[in-house]
Amino acid sequence: MCDDPHISMTVLVVDDHPAFRASARRLLELDGFHVVGEAADAREALALARELEPRLVLLDIGLPDRSGFDVAGELAGRRTDVVLVSSRAQADLGRRVRESGAVGFISKERLSGEAILALLGRAA
Amino acid sequence: MRALRFALVPAAIALGVVAYRIQLDNLGAATTPARSLAIVAVAWAFVGAGLVAWARRPGNRLGPLLAAAGFALLLRQLRYSHDAGLFTVFFALSELSYALVAHSVLAYPSGRVVGRPERVLVRVGYASMLLFPLAILLVYDASRPLRFLDPTARDSLLLVWENGALAVNLQKAFVVFVWGVLASAFIFLVLRRLVRATPRARRILAPLLLAAVVFALRAVFECVFTFAERPSEILYVYLFWWQVAGFVALPLALLAGMLRARLARAGVAELVLELERAPPQGLRDALARALGDPTLEVALWLPERSEYVDASGRPVTLPDEGGARTVTLLEHEGEPVAAIVHDATLVDEPELLRASGAAARMALENARLQAEMRAQLAEVQRSRARIVAAADEERRRIERDLHDGAQQRLVALALELRTAQRRLGGSTDPELERILAASVDELQAAVDELRELARGVHPAILTEDGLAAALESLSSRTPVPVTVDACGDRLPPQVEATAYFVACEALANVVKHSGASAATVTALRRNGMLVIEVEDDGVGGAHADGGSGLRGLADRVEALGGRLRVVSPAGGGTRVVGEIPCAS
Repeated sequence: MCDDPHISMTVLVVDDHPAFRASARRLLELDGFHVVGEAADAREALALARELEPRLVLLDIGLPDRSGFDVAGELAGRRTDVVLVSSRAQADLGRRVRESGAVGFISKERLSGEAILALLGRAA
Repeated sequence: MRALRFALVPAAIALGVVAYRIQLDNLGAATTPARSLAIVAVAWAFVGAGLVAWARRPGNRLGPLLAAAGFALLLRQLRYSHDAGLFTVFFALSELSYALVAHSVLAYPSGRVVGRPERVLVRVGYASMLLFPLAILLVYDASRPLRFLDPTARDSLLLVWENGALAVNLQKAFVVFVWGVLASAFIFLVLRRLVRATPRARRILAPLLLAAVVFALRAVFECVFTFAERPSEILYVYLFWWQVAGFVALPLALLAGMLRARLARAGVAELVLELERAPPQGLRDALARALGDPTLEVALWLPERSEYVDASGRPVTLPDEGGARTVTLLEHEGEPVAAIVHDATLVDEPELLRASGAAARMALENARLQAEMRAQLAEVQRSRARIVAAADEERRRIERDLHDGAQQRLVALALELRTAQRRLGGSTDPELERILAASVDELQAAVDELRELARGVHPAILTEDGLAAALESLSSRTPVPVTVDACGDRLPPQVEATAYFVACEALANVVKHSGASAATVTALRRNGMLVIEVEDDGVGGAHADGGSGLRGLADRVEALGGRLRVVSPAGGGTRVVGEIPCAS
């Protein structure tokens, strides 16, 4: 993990709603993150993750081609952490969040740089 | 007819005496009093059985046929007379007695000969039994004794060309054709009928086996007499007395077979008594016993559905005409009540069917009403289950709409507000920052409330991950510590939803009313049921009907064919148990 995550943390945002991707990009960039790419589905996310090797993938659960739970394990790697997002609450998602390979979950309306760093800090 | 039958009794006795005397007076050493009497006894057995059958079943020709065979057997003895007239007439007619016996057997039990080969055999039998003796009388040579007759000469009034050798050869041809060919065909046809019969028919047709044996014995006897130079005395005696036994037993067996129906009709009285005691589902068994048909089925008419159903209300298709099984329809005041599907042989016993049907009509009417009620109950049950399923589907739709609509918009708005907060970060207007922060908090509360509402309508986790995950999630949101033990199998959606809402309502009551320090939720499959149980250590005293919301849930559980129980003694905690049928 980097000493100054606000400056160097690269992020790939994966969500099938363009409006959410745009909002998330604006918010995270204001919080000092570097959004290096956006993907609308799991297939595109896997391709971009291989190419860009982001430090973090912000991954929506409800993707059109595959469930975010299923693809999280494939995206997570030696240098990449995955944080799941959804407009549902974690209580509505059960143990699959824990079993997915993601470092944690954030409800979309609570998304912020601090929330992400808090999760990554717990996972480190 | 009754007077005729009564008149035939003394006639048969008188003719028997005459037949007995004629044998003794004319056959000399060729007979004995015992043998002569035995032959008369055989004839009387046929007459007696025939008259009884005729009296009991006046519409059935079998009775008159048997009586006629008996009289023919008596009259046959008159051929032994040395009077030319008696000899000629009764020698010509003598063999018809066996044609009548064979006809009676083939007409058993209905009085009608069924089947084309059987009818042809009867006609050919009558023709040959008449034509051969007539032909013999045309060429009869008084100096050449005929078989069965004593050597004393008799005169044929029909003689046209005396030829003793031809007469003897005609007798041999008669035996070969009638007692070789026709008797074999007869035995084959009755055995075939036995083999092809249904089990019930086979019991009724059992006398046919005796008939086959008797005709086989007679055929051997005729052949021995015709083709052996001098039949050995021992063989003759055995064959004679076995024949007598067989021929006496045959009409009695045929009569007994016919009277089975009569006896069965006596069983109708027992049926009436039995039906008073038997439950509706015992009706079929009682009728099957009364009619002697273990394969019998009862189909009840449901006017509302215009179809026949069984006792449990399931539709029944009646068999087509012409098969081994046939249908008797029972009506009351012109309206169908029921159909009895039974062995086709019962058609030969219409009185028995009518009597049993009449006896069973009231019970059938009751059974029909019960079947109708069961069918309606089953339909109500299906309808309740459909209503529950439709309501669940509607709840799922509302939850999806809330999630995809208002919730998404509020989430997007929250992100925008956070972005605005960032942009204004470090601005000189603290009031604006406070307003933005308050808006974010307010919005967050709105999203949380909306989620809670959606969860109450139908939790997404139940749809996505099943009952065990949904109960875990429910327990994590309950302020009282809850232990969950639930099977992870996926079950039909309405079963999972019902069990979940039972747990939800019960835990809400635990929190609101029980004062419990802990609760447990178990959801396990047992004997084809999902048993959902919520137990607490609170104050107890809860009632399923007490406005706790459990009454509505009990309706819901019952709609799926299950039941909900609340055990809640004062001071002893509360246990809510829902049992919901679930296919494995």
